[in-house]
Amino acid sequence: MNIALIGNPNTGKTSLFNNLTGSYEYVGNWSGVTVEKKVGLFKNGKNQLIDLPGVYTLNPLSKDEGVVTNFFLNEPFEKLLNILDASQLRRNLHLTMQLLEYGAPVIIGLNMLDVAKNRGIQIDIHKLSESLGVTVAPVVARTGKGCNELAELVTGGAIGTGKNNLVYYGKAIEAGILELENKLAGKVQHPVRWLALQLFEGNPYVKSYLASILPMAELETLIKSVTVSQQQSAGSKQALDQAIHRKRSEVIDKIVSAATTKQDNKKVPHTEKVDMVVTNKFLGIPIFLFLMYIMFMLTFDWLGFPLSDALDSFLSGPLTSGITAALTAAGASSFIKDLVLDGIVAGVGGVLVFVPQIFILFFFISLLEDSGYMARVALVMDRLMESVGLNGKAFIPMMIGFGCNVPGIMAARTIETPKERLMTILLTPLMSCSARLPVYALFVGAFFVEHKAAIVLSLYVLGVVIALILAKVFSETLLKGETSVFVIELPPYRLPQGRALWRSTWDKGKGFIRKAGTFIFAGSVLIWLLAYAGPEGMNVSMDDSYLALLGGIFAPLFAPIGFGTWQASASLFTGFLAKESIISTMNIIYFVPDEASLQGLLAAHYTPLAAYSFMVFILLYIPCLATTATIYKETGSTRWTAFSIAYALIIAYLLSLAIYQGGMLFGLS
Amino acid sequence: MLGKLKTGEKGRIMNISSADKFVRRRLLDLGIAEGSEVCVKCILPFGGPVMVESCGQCIGIRRKEALRIEVERV
Repeated sequence: MNIALIGNPNTGKTSLFNNLTGSYEYVGNWSGVTVEKKVGLFKNGKNQLIDLPGVYTLNPLSKDEGVVTNFFLNEPFEKLLNILDASQLRRNLHLTMQLLEYGAPVIIGLNMLDVAKNRGIQIDIHKLSESLGVTVAPVVARTGKGCNELAELVTGGAIGTGKNNLVYYGKAIEAGILELENKLAGKVQHPVRWLALQLFEGNPYVKSYLASILPMAELETLIKSVTVSQQQSAGSKQALDQAIHRKRSEVIDKIVSAATTKQDNKKVPHTEKVDMVVTNKFLGIPIFLFLMYIMFMLTFDWLGFPLSDALDSFLSGPLTSGITAALTAAGASSFIKDLVLDGIVAGVGGVLVFVPQIFILFFFISLLEDSGYMARVALVMDRLMESVGLNGKAFIPMMIGFGCNVPGIMAARTIETPKERLMTILLTPLMSCSARLPVYALFVGAFFVEHKAAIVLSLYVLGVVIALILAKVFSETLLKGETSVFVIELPPYRLPQGRALWRSTWDKGKGFIRKAGTFIFAGSVLIWLLAYAGPEGMNVSMDDSYLALLGGIFAPLFAPIGFGTWQASASLFTGFLAKESIISTMNIIYFVPDEASLQGLLAAHYTPLAAYSFMVFILLYIPCLATTATIYKETGSTRWTAFSIAYALIIAYLLSLAIYQGGMLFGLS
Repeated sequence: MLGKLKTGEKGRIMNISSADKFVRRRLLDLGIAEGSEVCVKCILPFGGPVMVESCGQCIGIRRKEALRIEVERV
């Protein structure tokens, strides 16, 4: 049985999802779109829980919200689990009203009763349940209290569909509903009342769904006649969606005032105290930058490097000798031995050593998201983003892009205006993702030991600065017109739960490990083979290999920017598959057992200036394969996808050229 | 106008119809409409957005939008 979890944003949906499902997985994509569909299995092992994106109403404003309407129109499900924020009951019930109109069996999980209580609001659950006609169960989604009972309720026997005629919308609209009912008679499976109301509210997905059954002109005429007669009877010029909203509000007000009692409570919530500091006029941006600094220092200097070093010495020491012994004992040929040790272990191992750093980075991004600070970042950054033609919300995909560009680009779906969304998608790949981190880590370890964190930070900042400059350029040339808007809900601060934090860190980080096992594994074998074989046969010297031959063709192109060796250009090719393969390629090419000796070798091939130029080139030159695919899916346009690759290549080359040649002029080589 | 209120000042929304249609829809979704009481919590520098509280929830909105929303001081 499929049960869909639905609710407003910031109501604790994700916590509830985690608490209700023992195991879970991401299943493919929503039909036609690329937001990952999260499906969990209830602890009874039989029923599935489907996590829908958070929405305020079923009538979508952003693409993300459209997923929910699409789900109602196209996907099979048996029951709905609607989670409500008790402290924002009035607002949350608007969605509930629409769910009741849909007429599927529904159960309500009432969360944040404690927050409501702190504000002096007491809710009579029994009365609420009675007036809606559905079961209402109290839960504390964060701690999991009440979740077992809720799970039993929702997976158990039959549950009610609630009262689907709670709201009387007035003569004009009700007549319109009847008229649509007559026109559709028996042609649809969805409840006509719901379809009609969504149509009148202006839901574009429902409109195009109905247009597949009835002629568009007929729908337009119906909407128009309902609007006119509604305005006549109301004696005002208000739009249809406003009229519907008002009618719902009236009913909701009645339900809420019957079910709640309110006392005055003058306590200043913690959130406001914190907000006085973090969104402070003068301190807001410095505090944000300070937090970023702490995050980078922990990821690279204080915690990340020691852990990576420890892992590296394990991989190159006990593990390698263990495998050598095992292979010798098994009587493996020298070809197999070389393949395993110099190809796979060196290639995959070279990437795996960065797992600790990447998980630390993802941990901090999850922490920022889960605590509620990320929305404040959007607020604090809005002025800056507005000046380049974006809005503060575009900063969130970019922050997530620091972890991995793919979810970053997907996060752009919450941006309402198409132009800002497109720009965010195009520019997010400039954010230095965690896959580029291993490359920086390797090079700063070899050339800039004294200033590791500062050099890495400079690259991150460079990516942001370039993105902002390009945003300004794009918004005044390619993507002129269209106003930019910004409204954001700032959820109360929450202390993140350890388990939820671990889950979202793992969700983000596991892709990296999976890539090491697939892409990089295959890439390492291929690169090793190309380096092992040459036109003259097998086991040739590296400089006569196919790899050297291929790299050599392009090497002259890179000479002006400081790294005209065949090794550099060969590694840049594999970097398109996944940026971390640059490291595995180098490990194989330079034929070294561990990171330390690779760094020693690099000193012979690069100057510090060339190393920096190389890092800048890697930062910018091309989105990786997975990112390119995501850009294509999200924009649905070959032209924009090609554009995102082309502009990145050009910018990367020009900037590296400026850095290298400029540096030479200043005598920095 | 909402955008004219100072930090800490409260007002009741009188007319929201001249705001951008996206902004209006979103405010409505958040339960903020004519008649709602709002309080300006913080104003970001350089003409940045304002942070407004209404019924215990906080939202951020640009100042130029806030300047299109009529309020009555309370």
